Amino acid sequence: MPERLDELTMARRVVAELRPGQVVALGAGLPGRVPEAMPPFATGTAPVQFLSESGVLGYVGPGESSRPGAGALVDSGGNPVALGPGGSLLSLGDLAGMLRGGAVDVAVIQPAQVSSGGDFISWTTAATPGIFAPGAAVDLAMGAQKVIALLPHTGSDGTRNLVADSSPLTDGRNCVNLIVTDVAALRVTEQGLELVEVAPGWTADDVAALTGAPLTVAPNLREMTLAWNDADADAATAGKVYPDGPAAIADLPEGATVMIDGFGGPGGMAHYLLVSLRDQGTGNLTIISNTAGIARSVNFGTPPGRLAIDHSILIDHRQVRKAIATYPVSPSASRPSSFELAYRRGEVELELVPQGTLAERLRAGGAGIAAFYTPTGVGTLIAEGKETRTIDGKDYILEEGLRADFCLIRGHKADTLGNVVYKGTSRNFNAVMAPAARITVVEVDEIVAPGELDPELIVTPGIYVNRIVKRPEDFSAYE
Amino acid sequence: MVAEKERLEREVVAMRVAKELPDGGYVNLGIGIPTLVSNFIADESVVFYHSESGVLNCGPLAEEDEQDIDLINAGGQFLQPVDGMAFFNTVDAFAMIRGGHVDVTVLGAHQVSARGDLANWMLPERGVGNIGGAMDLAAGARQVIVAMEHTDRQNRPKIVEDCTYPITGKGCVSLIVTDLAVLQPTPEGLVLKEVAPGWSAAEVQELTDARLIIAPDLKEYEL
Repeated sequence: MPERLDELTMARRVVAELRPGQVVALGAGLPGRVPEAMPPFATGTAPVQFLSESGVLGYVGPGESSRPGAGALVDSGGNPVALGPGGSLLSLGDLAGMLRGGAVDVAVIQPAQVSSGGDFISWTTAATPGIFAPGAAVDLAMGAQKVIALLPHTGSDGTRNLVADSSPLTDGRNCVNLIVTDVAALRVTEQGLELVEVAPGWTADDVAALTGAPLTVAPNLREMTLAWNDADADAATAGKVYPDGPAAIADLPEGATVMIDGFGGPGGMAHYLLVSLRDQGTGNLTIISNTAGIARSVNFGTPPGRLAIDHSILIDHRQVRKAIATYPVSPSASRPSSFELAYRRGEVELELVPQGTLAERLRAGGAGIAAFYTPTGVGTLIAEGKETRTIDGKDYILEEGLRADFCLIRGHKADTLGNVVYKGTSRNFNAVMAPAARITVVEVDEIVAPGELDPELIVTPGIYVNRIVKRPEDFSAYE
Repeated sequence: MVAEKERLEREVVAMRVAKELPDGGYVNLGIGIPTLVSNFIADESVVFYHSESGVLNCGPLAEEDEQDIDLINAGGQFLQPVDGMAFFNTVDAFAMIRGGHVDVTVLGAHQVSARGDLANWMLPERGVGNIGGAMDLAAGARQVIVAMEHTDRQNRPKIVEDCTYPITGKGCVSLIVTDLAVLQPTPEGLVLKEVAPGWSAAEVQELTDARLIIAPDLKEYEL
């Protein structure tokens, strides 16, 4: 048999599969070699953001951190890694949320076995027979848009790692899209495994002889691709900063669901984007927010004598069809908000949600959780029509995750990769909503280069932010 | 007329509630009389305040010339920056509440029932209301204290056998402190524990819809 590929060359085949701008989660084992296989890039660009289940987003490969006073960073295999400019650090809950929420483009895992249907067994299971130890591989494989299995074609004793039938002890069914081994690259199709590339010197028959599942051979079977394809690199790295508010929401469609917050006061409210949306005139909107605009009617969180811009400008402009909110009306019946007046005229609908339930519904929506049980609202009007369940003697109601088309958030500073830091109590719902929308636009006071924000202090990682605009210096949040 | 007898000031009600807060505890104060409670914490004890706006260890309000829109409590009031303040997002703010990390919340109410049901988010005549953080606090705080006037503006009892307004939480209130009395909802009914100076149990009963069980050790309001 011809020579097999070494680990780094296998990793280069994975790199050839990646595209600029992607977020790529790497499991333990061979996937840990992928960053080394990336070509070198100029400082300040981040063509691919690597994510490790150890809680690091945006690392660039082996090495020690160059940040003074910073602790050691390791990848999921425990190897020291260096953070790239604009990288950030995450808790495991946030990390799992990124995966399930669909924010990760590609996951690379090293299973022990892959079946022709794309099922896999995690390597720990094979190494420790009888002990089921899926680790993070299950989350990686379930959550990422595309899953690449990177593994030797056979075990050291000649065992075939690619098999026809799935073991009953699978860690994930129908998850793997592409298999890269030390002799071939294979696609998982509905008809089974398709051999698309072979290592130099290998034939389809050589590969078939080492494979425990039937193969179809792609008509354009070729030698292994090992080159990074940077055709879209410029678009991917230049794309997030928009010249102004109107440009950042130009494609916000009629009838969209839009998250806009601030807790209620002017702190943490994306006023510039709000005014841009008002001026754009897009109608029939569903807005998701804590209040539906009360700052103007009762000076909530507003310095005396100022009239704050809030959701009321969209209501007054007849752009809102429905509000999902926790505190929709003025606390003072004698000073009704625009929303309350429109509600009384029958022009807008209201879905009233407890505040903590709204926060958790958004978290769930952003983190790929369909629904959850909460004790909040049991026995009240909120529970009507909802499934209830008694768990350990306590009653709960089922609430569903919530997502939106657009999310307009207000940060203090962002870097050009979309990492955001907030000020004081102004992060509130902003940080919760950012992961839960298809397009998240952040309005900040200042845009800085990657690396200028302390990775330990980043609250919203750029993986959740699609567009960035700077609030003009002469813009006022008051009328 | 009992209805016209002098009642306690709001500050005195707040002072009585302050006695209930555990030293070193985490406490969430609602709007109205509850907000006043922080003025009456004994000098030797420490209470850590939590607000749904996303801040822990908040304290005094800011002076008018030092107001910062990025530093507010859940009532939209401006806070003074304090050493040891911690900021967090709304998910974390409510994980603290529902997860049982907030020891006590003090809330206002439209009605409280004899068995501790709380109604404080909606007046039916207005047709629409604000829930805000109230339902989560009712369901999640380890102890819910209601601080309020004993009757509404039309002098109708706010402490009732069963709430007629939409409720915020069932059986969640463990103590009611009013401008007339201190009462404890129990599964057996409402226990009258303390009365304001000059008030008798019978006079308090006259302004209370729920039937009162007089505590064997009924006392005058203890401050």
